[in-house]
Amino acid sequence: MGVTSRFRFIGKRVPRRDGVLKVTGAAKFAYDIEIPGMLYGRIFKSPYAHAIVDRIDKSEAERLGAVVITYEDVPKVLFNTRLVSVDEATYKDWEVLTKHPKYVGEPIAAVAARSEEVAQRALEALRVEFKEVFKPVLDPFEAMDPAAPKIHRKIVLANRWVDVVNNVGATLEYSEGDVDKAFRDADVVIERRFKTNRRYHLQLEPKVAVCKPEVGGSITVWTTTQSLHNTRILISQVFGIPMSKVNVVKTFLGGAFGSSIHTNLVTLIAVALCLKARRPVKIALTREDDILHDHVSYQMHFRIKAGARRDGRLVAGEFENVMDIGAHQIQAYPLLGTALGWFVSLYKWGSIRYVGKAVYTNKVPTCAFRGYGNPQVTWAVETVIDEVAEELNMDPLDFRLKNYRGLGDIFWGQGPTVKTVIKSDGVPELMRKGAELIGWYRRPKPWEQRGRFRRGIGLARGFHTSGAGGPISGEVIDYTGAILKVNEDGSIDYVTALQDHGGGTLDAHVKIIAEELGVPPEKINVVWSDTFTTVYDVCTHASRGVYVGGEGARRAAAKVKERILEYASRLLPKVVNPEALKMEYDEELDDVVIYVEGMPGEKVTLSEVARTAWQRNWGSISASVSYRATAAPPSFTVYFVEVEVDTETGIVRPVKVVAGADLGTVINPDLAAGQIHGGFAQGWSMAVLEDVVYDPESGEPLNKGLITDYKVPMAPDLPALDNFTVIFASTYEPTGPFGAKGIGEAAANPVAAAVANAIANALGIRFYELPITPEKVLEAIKERRG
Amino acid sequence: MASRVRPSPINTMNTHIIPVRFEYFAPKTLNEAVDLLSRFRGRAKVLAGGTDLVVQMKVGRVRPEYVVSIRWLRELDFIDTREDGLHIGALTKLRRIEKSDVIRRGFIALYEAAKAMGGVQVRCMGTVGGNLCNASPAADTAPPLMVYEARVKAVSTRGEREIPITKFFKGPGKSALEPDEILTEVMIPYQPANTGSAFLKVARTSMDLAKVNVAAAINVREGVVRWARIALGAVAPTPIRALKAEAYLAGKELGEDVIARAAEIAASETRPITDVRSTAWYRREVSKVLVKDALRIAYGRAVRG
Ligand SMILES: Cc1cc2nc3c(=O)[nH]c(=O)nc-3n(C[C@H](O)[C@H](O)[C@H](O)COP(=O)(O)OP(=O)(O)OC[C@H]3O[C@@H](n4cnc5c(N)ncnc54)[C@H](O)[C@@H]3O)c2cc1C
Repeated sequence: MGVTSRFRFIGKRVPRRDGVLKVTGAAKFAYDIEIPGMLYGRIFKSPYAHAIVDRIDKSEAERLGAVVITYEDVPKVLFNTRLVSVDEATYKDWEVLTKHPKYVGEPIAAVAARSEEVAQRALEALRVEFKEVFKPVLDPFEAMDPAAPKIHRKIVLANRWVDVVNNVGATLEYSEGDVDKAFRDADVVIERRFKTNRRYHLQLEPKVAVCKPEVGGSITVWTTTQSLHNTRILISQVFGIPMSKVNVVKTFLGGAFGSSIHTNLVTLIAVALCLKARRPVKIALTREDDILHDHVSYQMHFRIKAGARRDGRLVAGEFENVMDIGAHQIQAYPLLGTALGWFVSLYKWGSIRYVGKAVYTNKVPTCAFRGYGNPQVTWAVETVIDEVAEELNMDPLDFRLKNYRGLGDIFWGQGPTVKTVIKSDGVPELMRKGAELIGWYRRPKPWEQRGRFRRGIGLARGFHTSGAGGPISGEVIDYTGAILKVNEDGSIDYVTALQDHGGGTLDAHVKIIAEELGVPPEKINVVWSDTFTTVYDVCTHASRGVYVGGEGARRAAAKVKERILEYASRLLPKVVNPEALKMEYDEELDDVVIYVEGMPGEKVTLSEVARTAWQRNWGSISASVSYRATAAPPSFTVYFVEVEVDTETGIVRPVKVVAGADLGTVINPDLAAGQIHGGFAQGWSMAVLEDVVYDPESGEPLNKGLITDYKVPMAPDLPALDNFTVIFASTYEPTGPFGAKGIGEAAANPVAAAVANAIANALGIRFYELPITPEKVLEAIKERRG
Repeated sequence: MASRVRPSPINTMNTHIIPVRFEYFAPKTLNEAVDLLSRFRGRAKVLAGGTDLVVQMKVGRVRPEYVVSIRWLRELDFIDTREDGLHIGALTKLRRIEKSDVIRRGFIALYEAAKAMGGVQVRCMGTVGGNLCNASPAADTAPPLMVYEARVKAVSTRGEREIPITKFFKGPGKSALEPDEILTEVMIPYQPANTGSAFLKVARTSMDLAKVNVAAAINVREGVVRWARIALGAVAPTPIRALKAEAYLAGKELGEDVIARAAEIAASETRPITDVRSTAWYRREVSKVLVKDALRIAYGRAVRG
């Protein structure tokens, strides 16, 4: 970490700014918003996976004093809950409330009453009669059968109707080079089919929305969202309220992992109830609502074919991607391109051919989950890469180094429309160090192991994009905004719409601003803002919080700095060019000193400058910036995982982890390491544990939504801290703020792959379906023994 | 294409509140409590720690009209060593069982079971009586109590009676208790010298109900098994004793092949199902492994004292 040492604030270990607030409960989340006269809402959800409502009798519910809305009371527009893509790339098939529910749990009606108890009784008093109940379609391959029931007939793309044929919501095909010839010329060809799991995000905070009517027809909204501005735009579009009358206010967020890149339906339903009731309304999903009916990861079925030459060069790659997207599109169409991007950017395949299909099923709609399809693609690719290397008799590590996309290569940040040339690459360093720390060259050979417990070491590498920017405006919207003010005493207000999900993104921004200005982080106030007072930021997703948002903040600071130096030069008459001035924090004065190098007399403090600008009517020192990144560089991660398999129970236990991360300059080492620990936990769980399963008859999730029915690993199920080593590459990303890139998703992407490769190393058996449960492991072991 | 599936009960589930209307009683004495139960016969539920009952009420699976909390009946919260054995009050928290030296030294399988249950918070609320009366096939305290041949005491306005634990479980969620009875205590006879026991559990995570749990107790004299007891949970509608495997072991020296054979027999006595936690096949396979492991550990403890 040599590079970071020249910084004053960046890279230093400091306590989290919101730590005390959260530990003491002082931090206010959307659920904590209480408004006098507020009503509590509950949502009437479809008890069937696919049905048509005949009629709803709401008289009894209304007699209980509840305000009731049904599909008849909401605007009749189709929309997409996510606005990150440009309009021409946005498929719209959602309604606020529907007469035609397409999954168990789809909202049909909603009630609001003076307490949650009354609301619940009113909900149970609704008489909803169904005209038709269809047999649910739960498998994407069955859904594509022309005889299968149609889930959607027509949906909207941009603003025109498109027909849905055989339940395929969107497709994408792509090819480069002569793939067939390349496969013919290959010495080794491996072809495999894969199926990934359907994972629930299990963010700490279930979805909540509070909507308050204001005088003059405005509304104020507090909600769990990754994007304040997109939530505002969507509310405005759906309800036809001018944006100047919709204010979305920032609250603390208890994690999201992609489950609120889009505006959760609960927000729109709360708005609809509020507009009807003309009273503030809160709807808070229970954990069960959240698990059962709100969001899960994309479940993907792949076919991957890879061809390589004897000399260890990949020459061809074929990728088929059938995504089981559930009943609605959130970002299914863009994911078809992005999944290809993940595939293309992992290795230099030579020629490639791709077919992607997003298929509707009668299940909960899927959305991004930490990595946006990248963990799924990386698991499959890294399995195939291991197998090709084995077939070529090459060390899998060398094979990877020979074929991966690194320094100077082209990288697809988010599919074909977001391309970047790689300018920082820590992969070789992380591979070398990681291999040493885990004992890669002493790893066991599966056929040499005897006894009940077998060890295995797996390697997988991956990456994630930092944002979705780039020189050209593609299908993705990606820019940020920041406002910075130097107050009249020299302290600083930082105003941003960018959401911090709890990972400490805004702590990083503060350090970046501090570094640029020399002002210590304690003097920088992050303003608790809203859409009325901030400029647009698209969303905290795509690991862009630090790389894009942080650079936006840095640029605002740089502008402010110019003004500070100009004002300072008015107080230092000898200075002819303000650019000659330097700013540095002086601990003794507890102030920033603005000075001329080598001339100790020529100096003034920031607080003097700020005060003088005020007293002498020079005007405010402030800046407002809107910033689009010119690149979307990859952050690389390399995981080495050692596991132990109990061959009698099939249970796999993590023994040791060496996690290498290239995130450029590390701004907050502890929080960055925290991302990696969390990324491992989620990736481990993806590899061996999690799945939402559905009843084949009713289409109802069998996990029942209870936290006791949907498990994730607990601390004792994960490696002890002593056996978990994090290493950071010493890289510097020239396009990032002080050399930084993202980390959130890269931290998780290759984990499942590394775990799967470790299991293969222990047993000599490969698994092509996630999760690799003890049941499957034991079955495979028994099968092999015959 | 029309389907005749039943509607999901999702709209009656609300875990923010208890979406069931009920009347709540908090009697101060056992007499008051059993009076209430006899008055509301069948329409009341006893509330101990609530870690099962409240969950079931929140999701609407159980809808009692009356809830009789027994948390103030301090006389049901004890661990006593008496002449005839160890007595544990029904209201004793799992955490207290886990922390009890007497239990760890004399009834280690019960200690191991309590320690393997839930997380610390759940163990600080949940009681041993609640675990038994909830009558889950996966109840972790059941297998140890079965291999120790414990008895439980039930009290009602009609008097009190003792029930051997092996006769207590009647089916998933069904125990031998009458609706007007309260379980007051568990009595465990002291185990003779040269007895060893053990409890093992396989679950999806370290905080989960068992896919399979097993307890074993063995009494050994001069290298020969005098008697062995094996109990398994989550592999049948109730926790079960593997009586055939036990009979097979009696009088044998405990070599690896004997252990393996006993495990095969025990597994053949199970009737597992497939559910979200695991498959019937896996449960049976792993029953064998856990029985073997538990027998080895229990044997080691028996001979080493
Ligand atoms: C997160 C979590 C994890 C868990 N993990 C485990 C686990 O690993 N293993 C496991 O076995 N269980 C587990 N449980 C289930 C539960 O905690 C235990 O079964 C606990 O022992 C129940 O005790 P309680 O006092 O809370 O029972 P309660 O919920 O109060 O009662 C349970 C049932 O027994 C009846 N009842 C209680 N006491 C009496 C009495 N004295 N007389 C008559 N009837 C009575 C009640 O009416 C009710 O039907 C878990 C629960 C949770 C929420």
